[in-house]
Formats: sequence, C-alpha cells, structure tokens
Amino acid sequence: MSVLINKNTKVIVQGITGGMGKTHTTLMRKYGTNIVGGVTPGKGGTDVDGIPVFDSVSEAVKKTGANCSVIFVPPYLCLDAALEAIDAGVPLISVITEGLPPQDAVKLHAAAEAKGVLVNGPNCPGIITPGECLIGIHPGSIYKAGRVGLISRSGTLTYEIGLGLKQADIGISTAVGIGGDPIIGIDQKISLKLFEEDKDTDLIILVGEIGGTAEEEAAEFIKTNIKKPVIGYIAGRTAPPGKRMGHAGAIISGNKGTAESKTKAFEEAGVLVAKTPSEIVDLVKQKMSVAA
Amino acid sequence: MFSESYTGLNDLDLRVRKGLNLMRLREYEAKALFKEEGITIPNGTVIKCAEEVFSLKTFPCTLKTQVLTGGRGKAGGIKFADNAEEAYKHAQNIFKLEIKGDMPTAILVEPKVTIKKEIYTSILIDRAYRGPIIMASAEGGVEIESSGAIEIVPIPGGVYNPYLGRKMATKLGFKGKDVLKYADIVQKLWNVYTKNDADLCEINPLIIDGDDNFMALDGKVTINEDSMDRQPRFNGMLSEHLTDLGEREFKGKMCGLNIVELEGNIGILCNGAGLTMATMDLVFHHGGKPSNFLDVGGGANKDHVARALDLVASDENVKVLLVNILGGITDCVEIANALKYYKETRPEANLVVRLVGNNEEPAQKIMNDAGIPMTNVLDEAVKQAVACAV
Repeated sequence: MSVLINKNTKVIVQGITGGMGKTHTTLMRKYGTNIVGGVTPGKGGTDVDGIPVFDSVSEAVKKTGANCSVIFVPPYLCLDAALEAIDAGVPLISVITEGLPPQDAVKLHAAAEAKGVLVNGPNCPGIITPGECLIGIHPGSIYKAGRVGLISRSGTLTYEIGLGLKQADIGISTAVGIGGDPIIGIDQKISLKLFEEDKDTDLIILVGEIGGTAEEEAAEFIKTNIKKPVIGYIAGRTAPPGKRMGHAGAIISGNKGTAESKTKAFEEAGVLVAKTPSEIVDLVKQKMSVAA
Repeated sequence: MFSESYTGLNDLDLRVRKGLNLMRLREYEAKALFKEEGITIPNGTVIKCAEEVFSLKTFPCTLKTQVLTGGRGKAGGIKFADNAEEAYKHAQNIFKLEIKGDMPTAILVEPKVTIKKEIYTSILIDRAYRGPIIMASAEGGVEIESSGAIEIVPIPGGVYNPYLGRKMATKLGFKGKDVLKYADIVQKLWNVYTKNDADLCEINPLIIDGDDNFMALDGKVTINEDSMDRQPRFNGMLSEHLTDLGEREFKGKMCGLNIVELEGNIGILCNGAGLTMATMDLVFHHGGKPSNFLDVGGGANKDHVARALDLVASDENVKVLLVNILGGITDCVEIANALKYYKETRPEANLVVRLVGNNEEPAQKIMNDAGIPMTNVLDEAVKQAVACAV
C-alpha cells in the first residue's frame, strides 16, 4: 500500500507534446507509471511514443478511464488546464509547473476545493510510490520501496533524503513533494493524515522550510491526530530575514516563519527534529531499531 | 477561517507590503493606475528638474520625492510650498536627497488638499487565508504595522462582489452614502489589482476631502514578478523598480539567477531551493560561513551554470566554491562542463564539488579529465569546503 498513487493509478499528461511534458512522460513510463494518454488541445488524434493524444481532458478520461493528471503546461496556460481537469472530474491533479501567477493559484485552489479535487503543487516535483507509480519529475532510481512516508516542500532536498535512506537500505512507502509556493493544495496536514491511515507506513518524515506557518499548523495537527512517529527537518535555519530563498514561499519577515518557531512547534508536538539531512537518516534508523 | 492568533500581517503580507525584492511602482505610476480605474487623485504634475516648478499654477503645493522606499517624509523627501520660489528651493534639495540608496529622478507636485479624515485601505494576497483580502484601518496616514485597528475582509475564492466593500465600510464605521462611496473605491482598487496582476494595491492615506469626496493621496502598487510577461505595459521596467538588493542580487535577478548575498567566504551553488538552504545550513553547522545562497534551478544548461559560477565568484571574499548538485532534471554533464570552463578560466580557484544523479558517470569523467576532485557525500563536501576557507 501507499498514499495517493499506486500501481492502479491511470495517468494522463497535460502538455504531453511540449518539451518538458515529453521528456518526463518518457521517464515516468520507463519507471513503470501507467500513462494512458496525453492532452494537448489541437493535437488530438496524434500520439507520443504510442501514447494517444486527446484534444480535451474529458475525452481522455472517457476513453482511458484516467484517475490522475500531471500538468506540464507553461505558467499562463496552467490555470486553464487545471480547471479543465477539475471540470472533467479527475480526482487527483499534480501541477509541476513553476511560476504560476498567484492570482491564478487562488482561482485554481478555490475551484479544486469546491469540487473536492486533490491538487498536488504547483511548483512541485510530484509524487512517487517506489516500484509502483511516479508522477512528476522525481528521479525514480533514487528511492527504494519501504515503509517510511516522506513529505517535503522541496524537490532536490527530497531526493537528497531519499538517496540517504536508500544508501542506509531504508525504503519509503510514498514521497509527496508538496511544493514551494505560498499557496498549495495537498499540504503537510493532508499528507500526514494519509500516512497515518496507511497501514504500510510506519514512520513519517516531514521536511519543512522557513516561511509561512504550515509547519506550526502541522505540529498542532500531529498532537491530536498522528500516532506514528514523525521526524522533522527545517531547511533555512541560517537564512537572513526578508530575503526570498528560492521558493516563493521561503521567506522570513519580522519574527514570522522562522526556523526557531517551527523547530519549537515540532518539538512540542513530540516530533524528533534533525539538524542536518544525514541526521534524518540516523533518527529513522534509531526509531526503526527501537520498533524492531 | 482565521486562527485565533491571526493578526492579518503574516510574513508574506509584510514582504509584499514592504515591496522587498519585488517590482514596486513609484507613487505617480501607482496613481496613474488608480486614475485609469476612476479613483480620484490630486491633480498633480511630475517634474524631472527643479526649474519646472515655475510653470506650475496651483499653490500652495506639496512636493514629494519619487523614490521606492518608505519613510520619505521623515527623511525630508516631502515638503510644502506656498509659492514658486519656495517650491524651487525645496525641489533643488529634494533632487539631491538620496533616501536609503535611492536617488530620485522625479518629484510629484500636488495642490494642497483639505483633509477631513484619513483611512488606510489595501488589497493583497494573504497566505493564511489562501486568497486575496481587503485590509483597512480607520486610522490612515501612519505605518499600518503600528496601527492597532486593522480590519480584514477576505475575498472568498478570489471572486469580488460589491458587498465585500460595503462590509468593510461598515467595519470602519461609515454610514449611509459614505458606505457606497467607500465601497466604490474598493471595487476600483480591486480592478487595479486584477487587471495588473498586482501583489499589493494600497491607498494610504485614502482621504475624505473638504467636499466630502474620497481621494487617494498616496498609493503603493507592487506587480507580481511571475506575471510580468503577461503585463506588457511593465515591459523593461523591472530593473528600475527593484529595492533592497545587493549588487550580485541585482545582477542575478537580471539574468534569472536566484542569489542572496551573505557575509561569509564560502561561495555556494546548488540546485533547488530546499537543498541550497540545507547546504547553507550545513556550512554553518560545520563552522563555516557562506558568502551567498544560489539556487541554479532545475534543468540548468552549461552557460547558465557558468554565469552562476562567475556571479558567485565575483565576491572577492570568496575563498572556496562549494558546488552541490543532485541531478533530477538537471544533467550532471552540463554542470561538469561549466565547472571545467570555470577551472580553465581560474586555475587557482578552490573548488569542492559534490555531483550526483542524472548522467553522473560521464560527468565524473569530464571532472577527472579537468582535474577537479569530487566527493559523493554531502557532509564530506561541506567539511572540505569549510577547511579550505579557514
């Protein structure tokens, strides 16, 4: 088992004929993802390496039974693409696109919430359930299948941790890259709840970063809702205030969004906080040996 | 929707409100946008040299420096004049007055107006609410952070309806016709916000003048950077509208590189914001001090990485360059070729490189041929860099 995606997930790619869409469709399929179709308006009836391309999401869903869409379209076309997928009844949408205008992001998430659709991202690496399904841009070979759930706001830092775990022979159930934008869909709380309910996840790693109050809210949520052990990490503890650290959402202003506040919230919720990425792996090993 | 501790001023608000690292319009540019939507503004004139005051007809007047930073009044950038001679003296001084590193290229001259009441009103995206909000205070004209009476009206789902402006009017204590007049201003401010992809539209103060009409006496608008390409009217304006950036930060921004300057001597180049922050933290953890944060982004090619390396090394304090790349969509060969170029142009440079992931093996060969040592383990790489920098 796993969360959000598994071997039964049927994926369509919106923007499949674009450069990034094409590249990652190939990589996802190579990994074993069941890609049943693609959507590029105006290119219906063609194919990409044998994968049928449709003019609309609703047609793609009707013909293929897809239950997940990955979006690779350029930023200004992204809202339209996501609204189309929501309208077509796709229950899970992963928006990889970076640079979605915030006013578009607001509309996207409002529409998704109104219809009960789960949106992963935007500006995220996607989700991977090792050995079963990869949606997005995670390098699949970096992860080993296992029983640790991984939640992260960052892309490459998620890979770093996945790699460290694999080198220590520890596998993950699912890695959810929730994205670095200020407004995202599937957040830390939703991911925590899913991992808590997943009988094949024993332990959860929560990788946060400076900016916003998502980690503080996640810590509150953990106190009452999460019984599985949680290991936390906050990137950016030495970041200067007032500067955007790469991600649109990673910024300390005044005394809000600091690593100290997040670390404190984690510790108060009983989360073990690692100071470095490699310490995360050490803490996981400790926890697992205690459990064994 | 708000938690108990919610103050209406979370981190994103503060960043947006201060216009940090964002494209912030000058007052007269913001007001031009207000006027386009029908918000009344004083009938002012923008002058580019002090002598222009002699063609002005309306006195007494206010002269306001058009710099991008706040606190203009305290710094001496706002003056009143009863006649042209007085205005000339003030204008000469203001044109010479640098405020927080910003020299004015224009002064906005406006006729003095009667103020019956001052209000604060803005529209901005709020992270906690996950959408735009109207933020207002019945006490305008002051720094909003120090005002105790901030009112918030969220705009549900980012869809504006006139009742939201009326709701805020009531919260601010307006009655009867004033409710409609105020709501009309909010509607028009919303139009400015959506039509221009603004992150923030602020009127402070919004005043009620001697004829009981609402007028925007000062305005602040920041345009969302990710939206600039679909707002052609702001084409080419970014470089002249950025504030609070160091030299490397400004150059980086202009060529699409996200760099933050720090005070140490270890140059950092990584891919991905989270990994770059983690690497920076690790440098501190092992007793070193980073000179910068630089996230080269995903899928960077050789030339982009080479520019990034040059930018990092342009700080003369840099003793060693720490490169940490975990290639997902980034091709390690592109990075290796950029490092090879860097080593060729600066044979004496200290490089510590950790390069793993996509296309790792051919990259390793390029590095070996170029004589650049590599390590696979992040902690090791950081320790080596710290040792080099001592």
